[in-house]
Amino acid sequence: MSRLPLAVVDSAASAPLAPFVRFSTLWIQITGTWCNLECTHCINASGPRDPWLRPLDGAAARRAIAEAEELGVKDIYFTGGEPFLHAEILPLIERSLATAPTTVLTNGTAITEATADALAALARRSPYSLDIRVSLDDVDREENDRVRGEGSWARAVEAVRRLHARGILPIVTATEIAGHRDGGAAGATASYRAFRDFLRALGIDKPRVKIMPVFALGRRADGGGAILTEEALEGFDRATLQCADARVVADGGVYACPILAGLPGARLSSGSLEASFRPARLFHSACTTCHQTGMTCRNG
Amino acid sequence: MTTSNEYRRIAVFGGVYNNALALEATLADARRRDVDAVFCLGDMGGFGPHPDRVFPLLREGGVLAIQGNYDESIAGGRADCGCGYTDPRDNHYALVSYRYTLRHTSAENRRWLGALPLGRRLKLGPYQVLMAHGSPRQINEFLWESTTPNGLLRRMLREHETDVLLCTHTGIKWHRPLPDDQHVVNVGVIGRPENDGTPRVWYTLLTAGPALQVEFVPVHYDHEALAAQMDAEGLPPEFAETIRTGWWTTCLENLPSRERARGRY
Repeated sequence: MSRLPLAVVDSAASAPLAPFVRFSTLWIQITGTWCNLECTHCINASGPRDPWLRPLDGAAARRAIAEAEELGVKDIYFTGGEPFLHAEILPLIERSLATAPTTVLTNGTAITEATADALAALARRSPYSLDIRVSLDDVDREENDRVRGEGSWARAVEAVRRLHARGILPIVTATEIAGHRDGGAAGATASYRAFRDFLRALGIDKPRVKIMPVFALGRRADGGGAILTEEALEGFDRATLQCADARVVADGGVYACPILAGLPGARLSSGSLEASFRPARLFHSACTTCHQTGMTCRNG
Repeated sequence: MTTSNEYRRIAVFGGVYNNALALEATLADARRRDVDAVFCLGDMGGFGPHPDRVFPLLREGGVLAIQGNYDESIAGGRADCGCGYTDPRDNHYALVSYRYTLRHTSAENRRWLGALPLGRRLKLGPYQVLMAHGSPRQINEFLWESTTPNGLLRRMLREHETDVLLCTHTGIKWHRPLPDDQHVVNVGVIGRPENDGTPRVWYTLLTAGPALQVEFVPVHYDHEALAAQMDAEGLPPEFAETIRTGWWTTCLENLPSRERARGRY
C-alpha cells in the first residue's frame, strides 16, 4: 500500500466536533482510490497503481444500502476512484435505486454504449432518479487533458453524448483548475456559461453543470492547510456541515465525509452505519475548506 | 405548531408567489367544492408582481397559512430567499425576484408573515394530518417525487406521529400512498405552472371517507393578465414566459433528472 497522500494532524483528539443531526446521505466509496486516470488535482490522489484505499467489497456495499434503507436514507452516492471500474457496479446501482435516488460520480471513460444502455434501463425501471455526474475540467480539449490526462476529454464528452442520447441528463462537473482562472464569482459565472454553451453546442438541450472549487488536498496537498479551531467556528452553525447528516462507507469502515474516507483517526465505526451516528472531529484541512466555502459534494 | 379542529374536506395549496390572480381563482374554485377550510403551506412571495395584493385575499378568505422559507426570509428582511442555489444564473434570477418582493411587501404584511406557524396538525376524519412547507424537519427541504424514498417518508411519518404528511416547496405536486393507509402529498403550488407546458396551476382537495381521497384540481386563471403585470413591473421576461407557456425557464438547478427531463429547458 502506498503512502497516504492526505495530511493528517496529530491533534485530532482536541479538534472541534461537528454534531450528527440526522442521517440523510449515504456515500459509497466503491472503488476506494482506484482510478484509470491520475488527475493532477484529485482530492484523494486516486490513480491506476497501488490504491492506498482499496475498493469496497460488493457485499459490504449491499449491507450498507440495506442498513441505510432501514434508517430512512434520502439519497445515495457512489464515488471512488472510478466507480465504473468496479465489477459489480451495475447490480449495485440497481440495488441502490430500489432504495433511494442514486448518483454516480464518474470520469466517464468507462461508459461504453453497453454501459449507457444498462444505465438507461436501470433508470427507467426505478421509481427514483438516477444521476450520473461526469467530470470534465474544461470545455477545451487541451486544457482538460493537461489536468486529467491525454484522451480523457474525448472519452468524457462521448459519455455525455451517450447518456443524453438515452434520456439520462448527465451533470457535467468541473473544477476551476483549468481555464477561466479569474477566480471568485466572475470566474464561476464564466465557467457555468462556458460549459452550458459547450453542452448546447453538443446538442444537449438541458445542460446540467456543477462547478467546484479546487482544493489543496490529495495530489495538490501542500501540507500546510489550516485546521479548524473552536474560535474559528464561533457563531457558525455546524449543523450545516455535510458531516452533520452524511456518512461514507469505505473499505475498512464508516467515515464522516468522502475526503476523509480511509484516513487513520477518521473512522467512526468499523462497519455499522448506526454506530457511526456520533459527532465527528473536524481535524483535517478539508474540514476548513468545507467550512469556508460552504460547498456541497452533493448534486445541489 | 398549531393544532386545529376536525375536518371532513379541505383544500390545500402552496407557493402563491405573488400570484393574486391565481389565488383569487383558487379560492373561488375551492368554495364551490364545499370545503370546510382552506390551507396554504407557505411561500406567499417571489416570482410574480405586486406582493401586497395576495395578503387581503388570504386574510379575508380565512386561509389558514403556515410559513415557507420565502416568508421567513421576507419577514426577517434577510439577504436572500434561502433557496440555496449555487449556479450564478439561478442566483441572479432568485435575487431579482427576492429583492423586488422584499421592496414591495409592506411592514404590516411582513409582520403577518413572521407570525405564521411553521406547521399545523389537524384531524381529517380518522386521519392525523401534519402540514409543513418543505418537510417537517427542514423548512427548505425539497421533497421531489423522484428523489424522496419511501423509507425516508415512513421515517418522517413515524417520527412525527402522523398518518398524512402534506408539503409543498418544490412546485410540482405528487401523492405517495404508503402501507397502513399512510400518505404523503406534495400539494403543488398555485403561483407558477408546474413545468408541463400549460399555464394552469394546481391545488389539492383532501376528503376523509372510508379511504382518504386525494384530488389534484387544475386552476385556470387570467395568466395573460398576470404576465402583462409582470412585464409592466419590469420583472425578467423569463418569468413572464413561464407564466405564459407553462415551462420553467430559471432556477432549474435543483430539479432532479427525472423532473428536469419532462420540461423544455
